[in-house]
Amino acid sequence: MPVIEVKDLSYTYCPGAPYEKKALDGVTLSVKRGEFMGIVGANGSGKSTLIQHFNGLLCPDGGKVIICGQDTSVKQRRDELWKKVGLVFQYPEQQLFEATVFEDVSYGPRNLGLGPREIRIRTEDALKKVGLEPESIADLPPICLSGGLRRRVAIAGVLAMQPEVLVLDEPTAGLDPLGRDMILNLIKKLQQEDRTTIVMVSHSLRELLTLADRIAVLENGKLVATGSPKEVLHQKDFLALPGIIMPDYLQLIHALAGRGKKVNTGISAMAEAELEIDRLLKEICGK
Amino acid sequence: MKGLKLGQFVRGNSIIHQLDPRTKIIVCLVVIFSILINYKWYVILLNMSLIAAVIILSRIEPAKILRSLRKLRYLFLLTFIFQSILTSGEPLFHVGSVYVTREGVSLGVSTIFRLMILYLCSTLLTMTTSPLKLASGIESLFAPLRRLRIPVHQFSMLISAALRFIPTIIEEAQILTRAQRSRGAQFNSPSVIVRIKSMAAVLIPLLAASLQRADDLAAAMESRCYTGGSNQIRISKLRFGKKDKLALGLVSLVFLVFVFCI
Ligand SMILES: Nc1ncnc2c1ncn2[C@@H]1O[C@H](COP(=O)(O)OP(=O)(O)OP(=O)(O)O)[C@@H](O)[C@H]1O
Ligand SMILES: [Mg+2]
Repeated sequence: MPVIEVKDLSYTYCPGAPYEKKALDGVTLSVKRGEFMGIVGANGSGKSTLIQHFNGLLCPDGGKVIICGQDTSVKQRRDELWKKVGLVFQYPEQQLFEATVFEDVSYGPRNLGLGPREIRIRTEDALKKVGLEPESIADLPPICLSGGLRRRVAIAGVLAMQPEVLVLDEPTAGLDPLGRDMILNLIKKLQQEDRTTIVMVSHSLRELLTLADRIAVLENGKLVATGSPKEVLHQKDFLALPGIIMPDYLQLIHALAGRGKKVNTGISAMAEAELEIDRLLKEICGK
Repeated sequence: MKGLKLGQFVRGNSIIHQLDPRTKIIVCLVVIFSILINYKWYVILLNMSLIAAVIILSRIEPAKILRSLRKLRYLFLLTFIFQSILTSGEPLFHVGSVYVTREGVSLGVSTIFRLMILYLCSTLLTMTTSPLKLASGIESLFAPLRRLRIPVHQFSMLISAALRFIPTIIEEAQILTRAQRSRGAQFNSPSVIVRIKSMAAVLIPLLAASLQRADDLAAAMESRCYTGGSNQIRISKLRFGKKDKLALGLVSLVFLVFVFCI
């Protein structure tokens, strides 16, 4: 049974106002338990709007959203969803508010009504997961950390609630390459070791091609493609989609194919591209 | 927050939008004064028809304005109830020892209309005047106060910066509220203490971000040589044209006659 089931979902901001904006239009998709789902799309394509339906922050205007078998159109269920679905917002470092890192990370567990021992265990566990030393960092005020460290603390704040489903909105935006790799590895590890279902929003197709089991592509509030990375690359000609940039190695492969070279354009990973180019080079040298 | 933000500027090029901000501010003040000093039915009628005319001329959808009035319905209701039972006069009927009087009812109705007029005229002003123009209008109207060493320019700068950032801050508050709600903050819990704690989780980062933004804004302005003096020119100068003279003259005349003579 899918953990997240979205059926024909529509959502409009400011209905009736001159700024009326149909942010989602007839989106249908599902995420299975333990799966890593990637969502890509240009700025303003409705990614953030879509994932806010997953933990009951927004109520569908049209269609249905079913999370863990519960229809979210009922207000009471929407209010309970935060316990199951952890949502890491875009730029989550802006929401830190407690005096120390420990208190901030333990905010979620405290709201869950856990005992002090359990809270301590979960908080330290979450800090370790994001690569921070609880002993050295727990008592610092969040303000004196760098932006990247604050981002990790904010993510730990959601991990500490140990949600069944983890939804992340552009968790790597604005991080340096090292910070990005650290966060991406962390997310992959959560999926593989803790069996957490992951939904990750990104506008970097490259990140998702290597990590995600399945990818959904949004454009102007509509779902234009879903499936495994390879299927998606086949379904839609991304070179024509505005706002989504193909990874450079795929651009190279496509450019080579465009020049009439015999390369397999149905690949998705960097390693496969490497093999293809290697083969092509050998072919040419062989002649 | 779904729906229109209260009194937010709506771009347009109707005749009302084109009027000089000073004209609109003065007319607004005239309306407010007239309604404060004289609340006979014909003054209310005059004000309501002026507002109706402005709504039609500015091509703002009336339905939208009516919808925003709905937010004030409890205020209206309470005002009416208090006015009608607290005013002494000829009793209409009574519930127990509480008497509803004829004078009270009529005062209640007129108070509702006066509140409505106050609200509508300020909303229409901010809906048809961009914050920048509003600020320069205020600055120009208060310019004579400079002689009294009141820093008029700085105040107008303050007002326009504040107006500019209201939508931004509302949006940020909304995002923070959602973020804390998904960490389990309860904004509608029955316990007041829990609610206050949840509010703090939103207000603290909001305040921090606002201070940070103020800092950035100041740096950006200084790096472009802003010194806070009045020795600068606005890009678009205010023009008090024929339309403004006509509008202002007409409105003042009608109001003078209505408020003082009849
Ligand atoms: N609170 C809001 N009020 C009105 N319109 C909104 C609001 N939030 C988003 N929108 C509009 O809805 C559309 C979709 O926005 P959304 O934030 O879901 O896009 P996104 O894919 O997350 O973009 P980004 O990559 O920039 O984060 C945009 O056109 C945006 O202008
Ligand atoms: Mg977004």
